[in-house]
Amino acid sequence: MRGSDTHVTDPTAGDRTTPGPSATAVRTEGLWKIYEQEPAPVEAVRDLSMEVRAGDFVAMAGPSGSGKTTLLNLLGGLTAPTRGRVWVAGRDLTELSGRELARLRLEHIGFVFQAYNLLPVLSAMENAEFTLLLRGLPTAERRERVRTLFREIGLDGLEDRRPGRLSGGQQQRVAVARAVVGEPALILADEPTANLDSATGDALLGVMERLNHERGVTFIFSTHDPRVMERAHRLVHLVDGRIESDVRPSGRGSTA
Amino acid sequence: MMARLRILARLSLRNTLRQARRSALTASAMVVGLALLTMARAIGDGAHEQWISDGVRLGLGHVTMEAPGFASTGSLDDRLDSARVAAAERAVAGLRASVPVVTSAVDLTVSGLASSPGSSLPVRVEGVEPGAEAAFSKLDERRVEGRYLEPSDRLAAYVGAGLADRLGLELGSRLVLTAQGASGGVAEQLVRVRGVFRTGIPDVDDGLVQIPIATARRWLGTPGAATSVAVLLRSSQETGRALDGLRARLGTGGGADGVTVLSWRQVSPELESAVRIDDFGFYAFMVVLFAIVALAVLNAVLMSVLNRRREFGVLEALGLTRGQTGAVVFGEGVLLAGLSGVLGVALGLATTWLLWRHGLDLSALYGQGISLSGAVIDPVIVPIFRPARVVEAAGFVVVIGILASLYPTRVATRIDVAEALKFDR
Ligand SMILES: Nc1ncnc2c1ncn2[C@@H]1O[C@H](COP(=O)(O)OP(=O)(O)O)[C@@H](O)[C@H]1O
Ligand SMILES: [Mg+2]
Repeated sequence: MRGSDTHVTDPTAGDRTTPGPSATAVRTEGLWKIYEQEPAPVEAVRDLSMEVRAGDFVAMAGPSGSGKTTLLNLLGGLTAPTRGRVWVAGRDLTELSGRELARLRLEHIGFVFQAYNLLPVLSAMENAEFTLLLRGLPTAERRERVRTLFREIGLDGLEDRRPGRLSGGQQQRVAVARAVVGEPALILADEPTANLDSATGDALLGVMERLNHERGVTFIFSTHDPRVMERAHRLVHLVDGRIESDVRPSGRGSTA
Repeated sequence: MMARLRILARLSLRNTLRQARRSALTASAMVVGLALLTMARAIGDGAHEQWISDGVRLGLGHVTMEAPGFASTGSLDDRLDSARVAAAERAVAGLRASVPVVTSAVDLTVSGLASSPGSSLPVRVEGVEPGAEAAFSKLDERRVEGRYLEPSDRLAAYVGAGLADRLGLELGSRLVLTAQGASGGVAEQLVRVRGVFRTGIPDVDDGLVQIPIATARRWLGTPGAATSVAVLLRSSQETGRALDGLRARLGTGGGADGVTVLSWRQVSPELESAVRIDDFGFYAFMVVLFAIVALAVLNAVLMSVLNRRREFGVLEALGLTRGQTGAVVFGEGVLLAGLSGVLGVALGLATTWLLWRHGLDLSALYGQGISLSGAVIDPVIVPIFRPARVVEAAGFVVVIGILASLYPTRVATRIDVAEALKFDR
């Protein structure tokens, strides 16, 4: 739940309404993604309908090739569905223009990619503050937010390093910092801990949990890692682009 | 908005610097191209100016004033009478205040025959003012025997070496000139060879005789008359202004509207077309050069886009629009072209300046007597700086940078974001 007493209102963060207990963060309906290719088309996501409540902490598990990355890309508007619809913050992504989609991503969605995907010409600090800069936040505030976050996830003192001079774990932490620092309403993370040692993975998960708990940020992430699945409030199993099971392990993050 | 532009510019700049080696390579292609261009242009302009200057010295100056029909008939009937000659000379004197005039010369030219006791040949006889003509045509410097005409001469002649040979003339030989006089009758004039010249141009060496203008006037019965008043300017660039200035002065002054003012382009169209053809060749060269440079830039920017698809995918995932992503690429192309352009023009100017100080001696290339349009050309070329040419070159660079960046920009805006971001790519 979003702690409204500690929430700092970000005037540039778009129309983020305080969610009620049953507010919907993401919804899909009859979603298909078919990759046309030889010899046969690949159905990466098949007729998938689901709903994620605001403030939820959802893990998507499934074997490699089950469609996790494709689904996250569909939810973030990075890929257009072959059929079906996706709503994020009540808006139908399939009806938004490129410009509106870009704006929605900037103000509403944070991404963490499996491949880190930092910008190599920018320092760790510049990478982390990138979306804040695009949103026009003043320098002092940007730096302060990133420094606080860096301290928390053990990136202290690495602010000026470029990605080429950071370890994989450090890069992934910068990538997570970049996604969360603007406190978007929704964060989509593709195997965020897959390339990290368990201690670092735990620390990152801790940051994500805290944001979820304190700020009500909705998280949807894919994972292979049983320990990550254990900490999810809702666990969705994908097989061949379909939801095979969708459970809410008892006692965790129940919002009902 | 400003914040976004700043960060896009920062990305362009850092990316250009990151690919320092490729950027430097592309930039040097452009720099060398531009330097060559600036230099070639300055040398070309210098050579042309020389052709023109040499051409007009033996011809009728940058600007010439004559009677209306003379250009087509070349006949003594179409001459300037003394009143119009005086008006033309006043106009030149007035022009000096606003246009750099080197000198002017009054000529009375007719076609006729030159006869020695043995034979006779058709010639062009130029009645000239000895002092002024020497400064104008520099024909005195082509003397191989005797001396040039002097102001005190009366029955003296300065003849081409070829003509002297064929007529068996030597210094002091007597020579009879025959032409149709003003009255219509045939007039004869006896002169003595005082000097012989050789320009290397057959037409001139075999067919030109210069005599004092006073002698010519008496011979032809045309006191105070002239067929042309020619003006030599410091630079051919002044031709237009001189033309306008003289026309204005002749139009409003002394009522001498029977004077036609012509430029060297009209009097020597072959000289003009030689310059134009050479210019065309230059522009063709320039187009080829810039096509090569454009391809180099295109290749560099395109490769850098294709190698960085992941980064552009990230930019879009983070909330940049496709247009803004394209702007980063476009900025890189323009930056590359702009930097190279500045360096290229600077290098070109520096090289030209060095050449300008020392001159470019092409005598080894051309040998001694090159002739064009009846003029002997000096094989040492002095390049000419023209600010307009630098602006022209810089303009080309900007255009090239923009054109060469358009396609890579388009490619960057069409990247499949999800594909670009794949983990295992
Ligand atoms: N761009 C693409 N073109 C063709 N097939 C693709 C593309 N992206 C993914 N796929 C296929 O779609 C299926 C789902 O892939 P993905 O979403 O990456 O699964 P996961 O993330 O669960 O491993 C796989 O069979 C994969 O090969
Ligand atoms: Mg995947």
